[in-house]
Formats: sequence, C-alpha cells, structure tokens
Amino acid sequence: MARRDWLRLALPVLLGAGLGLLAGLPMAEPWLGATVVLALLLIVHSWRLMRMVGWLRTDTPERAPEPGGVWGDAVAMVVRLYRDRRQQRSRLLRLLRELRRSTAAMPDGVVLLNPNAEILWFNRTAGRLLGLRGRRDVGQRVENLVRHPEFADYLRAGTRAGPLPLLIARMERRLSIQIVPYGAGQLLMLVRDVTRQARLEEVRKEFVANASHELRSPLTVICGYLETLVADESLPPDLAEALQQMREQARRMNLIVSDLLELSELESSDAEVQGAEIDVGALISQLVCDADARPGRHAELTTSVESGARLLGDHGHIRSAFRNLVDNALRYTPPDGKIALRWWVDQDGGWFSVADTGTGIAAEHIPRLTERFFRVDAGRSRAAGGSGLGLAIVKHVLQRHGARLRIESAEGRGSVFTCGFPLRRLR
Amino acid sequence: MDTADLSHHTSRRFNEDLERVRTRVLAMGGLVEDQLARGLTALIEGDSALGHQVASEDHKVNAMEVAIDEECSRILATRAPTAGDLRMIVATIKTITDLERIGDECEKIGLIAARLASVERPADRYREIKHLGRGVQGMVHDALDALARLDVEAALRTARTDRMIDEEYESIQRQCITFMMEDPRSIRRALEVMWVVRALERIGDHAKNLCEYVIYMVHGKDVRHVALESVEHEISVHAAERDQGAR
Repeated sequence: MARRDWLRLALPVLLGAGLGLLAGLPMAEPWLGATVVLALLLIVHSWRLMRMVGWLRTDTPERAPEPGGVWGDAVAMVVRLYRDRRQQRSRLLRLLRELRRSTAAMPDGVVLLNPNAEILWFNRTAGRLLGLRGRRDVGQRVENLVRHPEFADYLRAGTRAGPLPLLIARMERRLSIQIVPYGAGQLLMLVRDVTRQARLEEVRKEFVANASHELRSPLTVICGYLETLVADESLPPDLAEALQQMREQARRMNLIVSDLLELSELESSDAEVQGAEIDVGALISQLVCDADARPGRHAELTTSVESGARLLGDHGHIRSAFRNLVDNALRYTPPDGKIALRWWVDQDGGWFSVADTGTGIAAEHIPRLTERFFRVDAGRSRAAGGSGLGLAIVKHVLQRHGARLRIESAEGRGSVFTCGFPLRRLR
Repeated sequence: MDTADLSHHTSRRFNEDLERVRTRVLAMGGLVEDQLARGLTALIEGDSALGHQVASEDHKVNAMEVAIDEECSRILATRAPTAGDLRMIVATIKTITDLERIGDECEKIGLIAARLASVERPADRYREIKHLGRGVQGMVHDALDALARLDVEAALRTARTDRMIDEEYESIQRQCITFMMEDPRSIRRALEVMWVVRALERIGDHAKNLCEYVIYMVHGKDVRHVALESVEHEISVHAAERDQGAR
C-alpha cells in the first residue's frame, strides 16, 4: 500500500480523534468525544463497505457506486479489473470461435475421442463423411456408429502403422482414417475422403496393365521374325550386325514388358499373400544353377544355408524377388569378384541376403533404388541390361509378405541386399 | 457409508455391463452390414471367391450371437434388471436373433453370387438388384444407427421405408417373370436372381424388426403387428404422458 493511501486512511482517524478530544474537553469527557467521532467514522466506513459489497454481489460493473475516499479507489480498481477480464474473455472467446470455425471448415474430417473412444467433438466434414449427427452423437462411442469390423480392430490396436483405408459401400465412398493419440489418452481421429484418389490410382494401374499386355503381342511377332532372320546366313554381314542388335533390344523390351506386367499384378492387391511353405535351401541352389547356366564368365557364387526353416509365401513371387537380387549382383560385380547368398534365422525373423564385391552404390542413391526405372548411372546401367524394374518388384513382393528390404553399400567395395521376413512367416 | 459406496460401485459395474453388451450388439451389426455389402459386391462384380468368403464367414456372426446371448443370460441371472434395463436386455436378445437371420440371408446371397459368377452376367449388370441392395443396406444401417442413438423418430422413419422395399421386390419379381417368358434360356439365372431379391426383401423385414425393438426399448410399447400410423399415435400419446409426469 502506498504512503498516500496510509495518509488518507489514518488522517481522518487522527483528525477525528483530535476533534473529539477537543469537543469533549469542555464537558471534561475528552475520551467520550473521541469515541463518538470515531464511531461515526466507523459507521461511514461500514456504510461505504456495505454499498460496495452490495454492488459486487449484483455483478453489474457499469452501475458502480461512488463512495469516495479510499473506498472510491477500491471501487475504481475493481471496475478496472472487471473491464480487463471482460476484454480478455471476449478476446479468448473470439479466438476460440475462430478456431472452431476454421476446424469446422477444414476439408478433412476431425473427431476428438476420449480414452473410452467416446466422441467429444467433431467437425462438419467428419459428420458428413461418417454420418454423425449434431450434438446427439457427442458422448456416443465412436464404434457404435462407425461399425466396420476393420475399424473396430484398428481402434483397439495399440500401435497403428498408418491410416486405415475404409470402403463405405453404401455411399460408394472410400475413406482414409487415421487415429493419433494425444494428451492423456485422448484420440484424434482424422478422416479423409480418398474416393477420387483411389479411382485415379485404379485407372493408372489398369492403364499400365493394359498397355503392357497390348505391347506384348506385337513384340512377340517382332522377336519371332528377328530370331529367324538372324539365323539366316545368306545376309550381308553389316545387316546381320544390325539384326543382332535389334534382337538384343527386342529381348530387352520383352523383359521390361513382362516385368511391368508382374509389377502391375503385384500392385493389384495390397493384401498379404498366404502362400505355401518354401524350401529356401532348394530355392537358393536353383538360383545358383540358373546363374551358372548364363553365358559368359561371371563372379563366383557361394551359398550358406544356416537354417532349415521354411518360408511361408508365394513361391513364384519369392523366386522372382530373389532372382532379381542375384541378377543385380551378377550385373554389377566384375567376373573376378565374389557373391555370397545366405539364409539364416534369428529371434527377429528370417533373413536372406545377397552380398557382392561389386561397384557399390553411393549413399545418396540408396533411398531411390526401388523406384521404377531409377538408374544410378544411366549410360553404364543400361549397357548392363535389365529392365530397371527389378528392385521395384523385389520391394512389392516383400511388402506383400510383410517383409522389408535392407540395403547396405560402400562405393567401390560392394553391396549387401537383405530381405527380412517376420517370424510368423517361418515354419 | 460402506453400503452406499458398494451399491454405487455395483450399479456402475452394471452400467458398464449394459454398455458393453450394447457395443457388442452394434459390433455384430457392423459385421452383418459388412457381410451384406460384400455379398452384394460379389454378386454385382461376379466375384465367386468373394461370394464363397462371405458364405464361409457367416459362422462369425453366429458365434457373436451365441456370445451375446450368454452375456445377456448372465446379466439376467446375476443382476435381475428391472424396467428400462430389463427392456434393454430383452430387446437385445431379440435384436441379435434378427441380426443372425440377416447374416444367414447374406450367406445365401454369397453362395448364389458364387454360383452366378460362372453364368454370363445380364446386360444391365443387375442394376435393379444394385438399387434394391442399396435401399436395404441403407435400411439396416439406419436401423442400427437408431439403435445406437436410441432415436425413436429415426426408427419409425426407417421402419416406414420397408414398404418401398416390398414394392420394389414385387416389381423385380414381375420383371423376372417377363424375362423368363421372353427367353427361356434365362430361366436359370432369373430363378437365382429371385432368390437374391427374396433374401434382400427378408433382410428389409428383419431391419424393420430392429426398429420395432428400438421403440420397445425406449417407450416400452410392443409395436409388432401394429400399423405404423397407430404406432406413431400411441408414441405421441406416451411421450405427452411422460412429459406431463415429468412436470
């Protein structure tokens, strides 16, 4: 409290007491005079206090009393506090309203859930996409209204890898739902309408499949004639040379088309394949046989099958993936290099690796290796042959087996490609 | 003090039990909806593998019915519910029976879809069935929504759409008869189609039953075998009485 306030409080008391004393002197009762004056002062103060309390109780800052003195200051301060608070509140309210308006206008649906998966709040888009209604559905468990069995599993799953695609057949709509935990066990549910994207993706896949299929038959004819023409010995040597090259390129084109077809077949479904048990040891020796049957000298292949565990999967796809890895190794390893194939099992799963002592890959290229037609060095790689789709096929095959591809490489020293299969795929 | 706490505790546990049953019934409804959607897709797309899958997964619906039934019996035996809680249990037992029947009809649709996949599809690609199927799917969905929200108005509205389903059923029936007369080679397919349409119509009836159980659960009125108009009247009277009581 400032000194001024002390003075304003103490001065009337002292003055009053002094006056009372003086007024009491003639009657020889100075204390009585002082008491009466002080009592009057107390009554005035009490009355002002009562007015202020009475005013505070009515909660109407605009009708503030003006009791004067220290009480007047107090009232003024309270009024200021009131005003500040009001301004703050209206600012907060405005902010909140803006926030709610902007989330309501979001093109994606948002639903807030409490730890029991009961709906706390949702925006308009979510209401439209999921068929939720106004205030009525707040407090309702979300799986009571979004009743798809996959959604219930997704909601209950502890760890969620990515968004869940959901087909709303009744409305011919495809949704993508993602649940993100936040705060103390609350869940944020994002709903996106991906009908258009899904349709476009379908059109693209169909186009690739159809185009490759259509390209195949004319190519077969061209290849057939070229084979017979190359065998014809009466042709002049320069023409024979040209035909030889044409045959090589036609073969390569055939390879690309069949790889494209394989890819589009792999892409046609995201579901994990069940398949049958595969004897990995036998598959590896088959791969070595195929490699040895290739014309020309190539790097030495060594194998090490350390486990008799069988792999559960689609035989054709797995063989294609492994063969692509071996082909790559052969292509980028000089004839005096070494290639090691290995199959082993540990507590994390089953592993198939192809290690070579070839040219290796620079670190910045590794993340892009599985892209279609990606070439580290366009000129040299094309000369080495191959469709440019091999690793994309490997990636898709592994994806459909719940497996993943690990690539380690040091430029100039060689690369290791490892396929890691989960334990549930082993027998 | 202790006894009050205990009773509070038991009633909370009881509420949780009831809530869990409700969620499981709706989960069963979700499974049935899914079966219906996939059965229709199998038929319309001519996907025999999907048809067989739908048929082979009917046991899931049956297993859920048995499990929920047991849970209800347990609650009846141990908690001896009364009034609204008792109505909820009774209505649940009826609801799962109808849901299970819908599941059976879906199994039938799946099997027929698998059979029809080998037969040439008609030029209109089952447009009528698709339309009827959408209507029935919507009805099952709305009925389950009404159950989730205990929304009597929505239940009544949904029950009313059953009439439209029935009309559509009859018009497809007539159409099939015309096809059969025009081209006797199509009789086999038309007969199979009739089975599907019949199944869909039955599903519509079961969905209507679900709506009636919602009304029973909320108002305690048994509205089976009663014309919808009088049901509406009774409910409005009941609601007015209740409001008066509350006042």
